[in-house]
Parts: sequence; structure tokens; C-alpha cells
Amino acid sequence: MKPAYSSHLSPLYSLVLALCLCLVALPSMAADKDEETSAIERGAYLMKIGDCVACHTAVGGRELTGGLPFETPFGPVYSTNITSDKDTGIGNYSYDDFYDAMHHGVGINGNLYPAMPYTSYSLLTDEDTRAIYAYLMSTKPIKQANLDNDVSFPFNLRFGLKGWNLIAHDAKVFKPNNAKSESWNRGNYLVNALGHCGECHTPRDTLYAMEPDKHFQGAIIEGLEASDITPSELNRQNWTHEDLNNLFTEGYSRKGTVFGGMYPVVYHSFSHLTDTDMLAVSRYLLDTDDNIEPQKLTFNGHNPKLPGYPLYKGYCAGCHGQNGEGRPNVAPAMAGNATLDKASPHNVVAVILKGIDSQHYNSTTSFYAMPGYAKELDEEQIKDLANYLRLTWSNQPANLDIKTIRNVKETVFSHN
Amino acid sequence: MNQSIKLTINNQAVGPIEVTDGVMMIEFLHEYLNLTGTKFGCGAGVCHACTVIVDDEQGMSEVVRTCINGVERFNGKRIRTIEGHAKLNEQGEITALSPVQQAFLEHFSFQCGWCTSGFVNEATALIERLERKPIPSAQVEDAIEEALGEHVCRCTGYVKYYAAVKDVILRTKGLTLS
Repeated sequence: MKPAYSSHLSPLYSLVLALCLCLVALPSMAADKDEETSAIERGAYLMKIGDCVACHTAVGGRELTGGLPFETPFGPVYSTNITSDKDTGIGNYSYDDFYDAMHHGVGINGNLYPAMPYTSYSLLTDEDTRAIYAYLMSTKPIKQANLDNDVSFPFNLRFGLKGWNLIAHDAKVFKPNNAKSESWNRGNYLVNALGHCGECHTPRDTLYAMEPDKHFQGAIIEGLEASDITPSELNRQNWTHEDLNNLFTEGYSRKGTVFGGMYPVVYHSFSHLTDTDMLAVSRYLLDTDDNIEPQKLTFNGHNPKLPGYPLYKGYCAGCHGQNGEGRPNVAPAMAGNATLDKASPHNVVAVILKGIDSQHYNSTTSFYAMPGYAKELDEEQIKDLANYLRLTWSNQPANLDIKTIRNVKETVFSHN
Repeated sequence: MNQSIKLTINNQAVGPIEVTDGVMMIEFLHEYLNLTGTKFGCGAGVCHACTVIVDDEQGMSEVVRTCINGVERFNGKRIRTIEGHAKLNEQGEITALSPVQQAFLEHFSFQCGWCTSGFVNEATALIERLERKPIPSAQVEDAIEEALGEHVCRCTGYVKYYAAVKDVILRTKGLTLS
């Protein structure tokens, strides 16, 4: 049986008509395709800066299939599969569904836990949210069931998060500050929206919401301190644009290395920033577009009479250098090290106790693992060593006591 | 700037000796004591060739790398190096190798031998741990992998090293539970 439309059209006429339609349709289809490709490419970049892979990939798991546990005060929460799989991923999400998840923390199956940083992603522009959506929908669908969270009652009742959102979540989209440069504003957007840096670097209140008046002042996360990254603190420590650039692209700078939870952030996310965006980030973090002159690194000289001296020479100098100069691709320098030059001794003590895992960035940059000394050194020795490090390579007071060491020990080891 | 060092190596009291500031333990063993069996490999704590055993008063021991640790770390401690494993007679002649050394020979485990002393020390410390706390036979390979896994052999003799250690563990009574 012939199709109805051909009953009154000759085959030749149909062919001509079809060709004409093609000629009309092709340019616009090609434009759509280009637009889609460009959105996907842009989404891929934005997603890297948003660090989605780090959280949505379990150790040894396939990218974006979720399953990574997050330790919360209420029990472990697992990241979910965000590939385009329709059964276990987000393949069934419309753009509006995705927008709701990213901006309001509401998924198809109910409210999301704020471990998914929608409190920061809500700042994303519609255009960028669409690009990320386009990219995720272009990913290969991978079927992998999500893990059940193990959150204690009453926090396992997700409708309670509606109330939390009402009180703690301000779903406002990013607004530029006209008093600042375009680059500074871009940095602000990258750091606060996509980078969601505040989620770790801002202290949380009793409702576990970021305290707005303590933005970037530092907080303890899984036993380590996410540093104070306010402009005043970074400038006090003489961070330059180049230092931040080196730290975020190579994981290493004149001011030390990143470690703990910041390592995957640099590896998966910030090391992919374009040069322009990297400069924007440092301009925002340092709150200046001007060049900053690097000052001489602090080294106050050794004092062999102190009990920390043989401890440093015996345990640390082999890698960190006799005078704290560090060794390339092995261990960072003590001189100029930002971790030592913090008012809070938490990370210095935590690192001595627990060590640091090895880090690999690319074929020319890596750092060896540092062992933890919690078993070998007693509290008195750790106190002596930490005080010696502060006295020798920073301008911080060397007045740590046993109680401080004990408190840090408790925090570090209560978080595995 | 000198440090005064006193310790016990292979059951012999050493020191006090004045040691120049900044000397790593491997340099102290080689240059001050002429104990050259401990080998300098990577110099950065990665290859574990320079591993020695440090014993504490409670009879527990741990393995420590000597290329990245200054001599100060070992001050006052009891150390075992590769020179302390074989049995000697009164004239100082070797009368018997340790079970691990013997097994490495029987299995032709090493080629150039640079990493061997580190492997001997690490395997010996593992066997001593198993004496205190035996494990099921089925877990032996995992225990060997965990203990020796970070030791690098540039001749790639891993299989023969691991086989030799497994052999010693399985044929020595009391190291495994079944």
C-alpha cells in the first residue's frame, strides 16, 4: 500500500520537494549541532572545575557512577550515579529536574542531602547549568545501582531537608560586584559557585549550614583543617598570584603542597583551569588584581640545644632538607610553608601524627608519602617537634602544650 | 656541629661517637662503622633497599629506612642490620645463615643483590610478627605482599623473593594456624 501523501504527488516532485526541505533544514540543523557540541564541551570544562568526578567516583570505581562515602555527623552519605543511565543515573532528568537538583537540592526521588553542594551550585548561571546538563547527558550511560545512605534517625527522613532548605539555603544566582574587575568577578564565580570552596573552608553552624559571616575562615573536615583562605590571611602569609597558580596547577608551590581532601580537588579540578580562569581565581582569593612581590622565606636558624632539634634532624631532615629547603618531587620545603605559618597548629600536628599519602600530578610532578609518627613519637616529642618547626620556620609562637597535641590527636583519629 | 650518638647494633654496644650534623643513618653505618651490607638505593625512602630493623624494650620491632632518617632517630636504640642475621662462631666465621637468607639462596631469589639486605630484614621482621601472632595459611600470600610490597627489585626478582618467604613461613612451625 502506498503512503497517502504520494497519492497526488509525482515521485519526481516529491524528490525535489524533499531536497528543497533538506536545503532549508540543513543549515539550522548544523547550527543546532554546533551549539550542542559547544555546550557539551563547555559543560565538560565546567564540570571539571565543579569537581564532580572527585565526589561521584568511588575509590577504584568508574567515573561518575557514585558510591563514594561522605562522613557526616549523622552517618555516611553516598554519592550517586550521575551518568546518563536512565535506571540508576540521571538519564531520566529533564533540564528542569536537573536545575532543581543543582539549585534547590531537590532530586526526582526527593530532597538531596547538602553533602551535594547545591548551596553553592545555586549560584550557577542558567547557561552554565544547561552546559553541565548537556555534558552529563552526553556521557556514556553506566548501570550501577546507588548505595543506601546510613543516616541515623531523624536525619534519614528526607522531608526534614525541606525545612533545612527553608532556614539554611539561600538559592540566589550569582550577582557580579560592579566595583571589582571582570576578572575578579569571574574568580568569585569560579571559587564560590563551581569550585564550592566555601563548603569545606567555611565553618558550619549548629544546623550544619555555612556561617556567612565566617566565609572562608577555615574549618575542620575529616580530621584536617581546611585552611583559612580569606584574603587577609593569604596576604599575611605573602601568597602571590604565581604561588596560587603553582599550587593549583602543579599541587606544589613556594608555600608548600596541598594534601588531604584538597589533593583530589587540585588533581581533578583546579589543575584544569585555563590560564585566564586561574588568574581570575587568584585575583579573587587575594582580593587584588595587582602583582604581589614575594618576600624572603622565613628561616630563623637552628638551635641544637632544643629537644626538637635532634627530632627534626632524625625524622624530617632526610626529606625536608637539613635547613628545611625541601627536595624537588619528594617533599615540600619547611621554609615558607603555609601550614607551619598558621595560627592554628592543627595541621602541623595532624600531619606529624598521621602522615600524608603520596601525590601524583603529571609525569613531572609528584610527592612521596610521608609516614605518620603517632606510634613512634610520644606526645612530649610531638610537642617538641611541632614547636621546633614553628620556631625555626615561621613567626608563630612556639608555645604548644601537651593538651593541644592531645586534642589534635583525638580529632585526627576519631576521623580514621 | 656534632651529635653524640650511642646505640646497640647487632647486639654490640656502639659509641658514644661524635657524628657530624646532618648524617643519615646509612652514611653512619657505612662511614663510621664500616657496616656496608645496608645498601643505598634511591636515597628518598622509596625503594626500601636500606631498611634495617629497630627493636624496642618490649620485644617488638619495626623496619626503618636509613637513607631518609638521620642518625639522631636511632640514638639509644637497638638496631639489626644484614650483618646481624647469620650465626657466627667465636672466630667470627659464619656457621649458618638465617632461615630467610638460606631460603633466598635456595630459591635463587636475587640477581645483583642490591635490594637483598632490605628484603632479608623486612621478611625477618614479618616472620617475627607471625611468631607472636600466627595467621591462617590462606592469608600468608597477602601478608607477604603487605610486608614486602614496597621493596623495589630492579632485577624484578619479586616472584622468587615472595616464594622463598612463603616457603619459610609454611615450613616453620607456629607461624600459621593451620
